[in-house]
Amino acid sequence: MSSTTLTPVGFSRESFESFLAARDEPGWMSDLRRAAWQRFEELPMPSRNDEEWMRTDIRLFRLDKYSTPGDAEQSGQLPPALLSAGVEVGGRTASLNSRPVESSLSDELAGQGVLFGSLDELLPEHGDVLRPYVERRVVDPGYDKFAALHAAFWSGGSVLFVPKKVRVEQPLHALAAMTDGGVDFTKTLVVLEQGAEATLLSETASSDPAAGGFHCGSIELIVEPEARLRYVNLQNWGGGVWHFAHQKAHVASRAGLQWTIGALGARLAKVNQHVALTGQDAEAQVNGVMFTHGKQHLSYNTHQHHEAAHCRSDLLYKAALQDQSRTVWRGMIKVDEAAQRTDAYQRNDNLMLSQASRADSIPGLEIEADDVRCTHGSTAGRVDDNQIFYAMTRGYTRTEAVRMIVAGFFQQVFDRITIESVRDALGRAIGDRVRDISE
Amino acid sequence: MTDFQPVARVDEVPDPGSLLVEVDDRLVVLIHAAGHWYALDDVCTHDGGPLSDGPVDPAGPSIACPRHGAKFDAKTGAALTMPATKATVAHEVQVDGDRVLVRLAPAG
Repeated sequence: MSSTTLTPVGFSRESFESFLAARDEPGWMSDLRRAAWQRFEELPMPSRNDEEWMRTDIRLFRLDKYSTPGDAEQSGQLPPALLSAGVEVGGRTASLNSRPVESSLSDELAGQGVLFGSLDELLPEHGDVLRPYVERRVVDPGYDKFAALHAAFWSGGSVLFVPKKVRVEQPLHALAAMTDGGVDFTKTLVVLEQGAEATLLSETASSDPAAGGFHCGSIELIVEPEARLRYVNLQNWGGGVWHFAHQKAHVASRAGLQWTIGALGARLAKVNQHVALTGQDAEAQVNGVMFTHGKQHLSYNTHQHHEAAHCRSDLLYKAALQDQSRTVWRGMIKVDEAAQRTDAYQRNDNLMLSQASRADSIPGLEIEADDVRCTHGSTAGRVDDNQIFYAMTRGYTRTEAVRMIVAGFFQQVFDRITIESVRDALGRAIGDRVRDISE
Repeated sequence: MTDFQPVARVDEVPDPGSLLVEVDDRLVVLIHAAGHWYALDDVCTHDGGPLSDGPVDPAGPSIACPRHGAKFDAKTGAALTMPATKATVAHEVQVDGDRVLVRLAPAG
């Protein structure tokens, strides 16, 4: 007589318990996961009656098609990284289907007390350092069903901790990869203590450009007083991936954050990107580069929250849309009553490369202070045929002319990105995708 | 051009009435009105609302978006009333015995 042990599949109470039992984690972390699972069970799936989901249709998304990160396929090759090409990095970490694959950190940085690698691996060893930041729950696990699911099942991902006044000169690199049909529940946690400085290049990629899968992730950036963080996040999943993400930064007094996102991949992406300026004189610059094609749907909700006085935030999102693709950008500048002398700006530009593409651009202001400067702008338009004609009279082919015009459109945001390898990688990736302008 | 695919049984959709179906990763609203069958993309071209949640008018025949009331011609997908100004995509429908079949219009 033989017996078999069945592993629960899908996202159920049984599979959650099985996932939890297989992890080597401190009790406080398990308690956080249990609370999040409870919340997941209570919350409904987002509905198109919700303002935030009104323009994003996920009725074809089937959660039961995917396994938990604990049961995901573990074999496969890491796809090449784009952001670190030609860059000498101080450390790198990678995961595949939400499981850590490799991590390294230079001896010099390790000697200075820097922690960098897989959150899975570093949490048990450095729980005393990391626990207060994990427990801060910068991303609210009760925000919606996907936030709760992530908080219950997060796995893999990366953590960067830079101690007080340590300046990390070389960029660090993190890659989250997925095989076709895989899952990615990675969590990114970045903590810069007072006066620290660092640059983190983070990217996602699939095993092939058409691969499917499910990403349910979070990014938490904690920039303590007088610290400076440059953070780049490139979403480059395969064309069949469902991407749901909650991303939030806390920027403290006199600290600075430059946050650049590139959104190129995924079948559907729904991202909440939130910057909270929590201390006086903090500043944040947010750059967004989106290029869509086919039937992609990328939806970004951005939030610039001024909680303290004398802070500055400046957001620029630029999107070019090809074929029948669609983008949705909803931006909000929220200024609390205490946040006098705020200087906040948000702008979203859209370049329509086809008749069938569509961009929804919805800027918003919510201001409770009475001594602020808050402005916003939004544009959408097609490529001027005269520009193409002129370039062709100078000897360029039509496709070259279109590429040049698209590159010019993005130049404004590229000029703000201070990391050359990032500018080059985004420019190359977009150039490869531009075909022609369809009527 | 794709083939006709069975999407529902005749008795699943009252007359007048509609049913949301999934065909090759595409959401389609199947409409039954005055004895005839129609199929449209389940998307209001005004703001992306789900037509399948809206009422069917057999006299048109048409279907209205539940969000802002834009009406679409069930046969052609043409936008009949504001705030929609662009047609939604119409697909071919056949009835074979007790089955309703849909052939998707080419993308684009």
